[in-house]
Amino acid sequence: MTHAPAEVAIEYEIADAQERKRFASPKLRGFMLLAPAVVVAILFSIIPLAYLFQVSLTQDSSFFFTAEYTADNYREVFTRYRSAIVETVYLASVSSVLDLVFGYPFAYILIRKIRYREFVRTMMTFPLFGPLYLAFGLFYILLPNGPLGPLFEMLGINIARYLFSTGAVLFSMAVFTFPFMVMNIGAALSNVDPMLEEAARTLGAKPWQTFTRVLFPLSWSGIVAGFLMCFGWNLGVFAQPQLLGSPKEQAVLSIQMFTKGLVQFNYGLAAALGILLMAMAFAVTWASLRFSRGALGA
Amino acid sequence: MAVAAASAPRIENRSGGFSLRWLGNALAHGYVWAWLAIFALPFMATLAYSLRTPDGIWTLSAYQYVFGSFKENLLLSVQTTVITIVINLLISVPAAYAIVRYPLPGKSFILSALNLSLYTPAAVMGVSLVIAYAFLFRIPQTMTGLIAAYVVGTFPLMLVPVIVALRDLPMVFEEAARTLGATRMQTFWRVELPLLGPGISAGILLTFVIIFNEFLVTLFIAGPSTTTAALRVYNLTRTAGFQPSTAALATTMQLVSFVVVLLFFRFFGSRYLKGTYLI
Repeated sequence: MTHAPAEVAIEYEIADAQERKRFASPKLRGFMLLAPAVVVAILFSIIPLAYLFQVSLTQDSSFFFTAEYTADNYREVFTRYRSAIVETVYLASVSSVLDLVFGYPFAYILIRKIRYREFVRTMMTFPLFGPLYLAFGLFYILLPNGPLGPLFEMLGINIARYLFSTGAVLFSMAVFTFPFMVMNIGAALSNVDPMLEEAARTLGAKPWQTFTRVLFPLSWSGIVAGFLMCFGWNLGVFAQPQLLGSPKEQAVLSIQMFTKGLVQFNYGLAAALGILLMAMAFAVTWASLRFSRGALGA
Repeated sequence: MAVAAASAPRIENRSGGFSLRWLGNALAHGYVWAWLAIFALPFMATLAYSLRTPDGIWTLSAYQYVFGSFKENLLLSVQTTVITIVINLLISVPAAYAIVRYPLPGKSFILSALNLSLYTPAAVMGVSLVIAYAFLFRIPQTMTGLIAAYVVGTFPLMLVPVIVALRDLPMVFEEAARTLGATRMQTFWRVELPLLGPGISAGILLTFVIIFNEFLVTLFIAGPSTTTAALRVYNLTRTAGFQPSTAALATTMQLVSFVVVLLFFRFFGSRYLKGTYLI
């Protein structure tokens, strides 16, 4: 965690000798500084999630009257909602694969060839303002008389065909998470010495051999971290299927949860869906943190 | 494809080397520019839609709604964002300081517990909070509830850049100040805090960008009197269809966010944003 050498800590404590009389020990003072953050996390993150788990074990909304504990909700999630789980995982994995296929060349060019990197970074913040505006803007583009209508007409593409389709949802999901992929792969590639590629080429490797034998293994950690990060974000997708998808895409877990909980007031089932989605997201995050070299400093 | 083309030409086609290399570079740059266009395209389309009436006349009239009937939503967005940033600062800076500078047991466990909300999908957070607010805390549909949700969702984003900045900061400045007789508080306010400036402002930027545009958690927990501007955009697209006035609001939100990002990059660069949500 901290890289402060031990001897510094000792000198530090001597300097603090006077103040130590007032506050018991550095350890206690440290916990006091940490307390507000811990209290907020416990009150508004850990308790609600624990509560959600408890609710997920009760029938319908019986928790708030006389709680009937049962595992029926989970049984229903894994039978009736299996297609929803499959759809969520399918959309998240395909969009993450798209990110990887298109993001790798982007990251490579960005790191090796481009001097106006700051500009590219600035432009890349547009998707990060949120999937809502992204889906919203794409909707306008896909409308039959959208702003790019003449261009698509010239190219002979019937763009309105893609409104409310899997393609539009996947595209908007991929665009939203594209910066995460580029960021992770870029971080890995910037640690790869360009000399290695040159050496491979001098020794007679073809471009694709340089890629499969040198670049790909060396940037593996970035690829895995980026893929898992995109996958994790896309598991919780909501706005893109809602605005751009057909009922098939709108079966994703987040939207189901909203419908069950806030429209039909079946809290038990909504909570069970939520717990499942959370478990999937945490598993992905745990894996990605193991691969990304301490991006969060932990 | 572009990667392959980008590599240097082999010796046998030296005569055609110049044009091949030029072609490879052009393809590489073209690829990046194509993606930049895709990033900006939804915004440009929204902007174009907001400026045009259904009859094809270009006008700014849709923007009268932004400061008319949407004014309250915008005000609420700005208000909640500012309050969230202030609370985030008050709880994250001490916590980051404790994590980096104090000998605490189980630090990585504490940090993971604090980051828990960052990894929870927004819809799950929304549904857990709506239940907890209604039946446990009894603060449904209030601004307090909204701000509490925003704080817990974003304070880790403030925490991480400050931790990074604090680790980059050598202890010598602090030690020098203390040796020269400054108290602990003086050292913090006059020496460390100014030096932590870029890290703290990175946290402020991240919080701003996310909270100002957050609609999903808000959708679950907000009531009719606590509809933020981003949620209003969502609600309007669900109920009123696609109106130029909605597009005008969405354009305004994105424009404000983009200007803030631009200003940040201009003053601080992107160094302290590495390893966080943005870049």
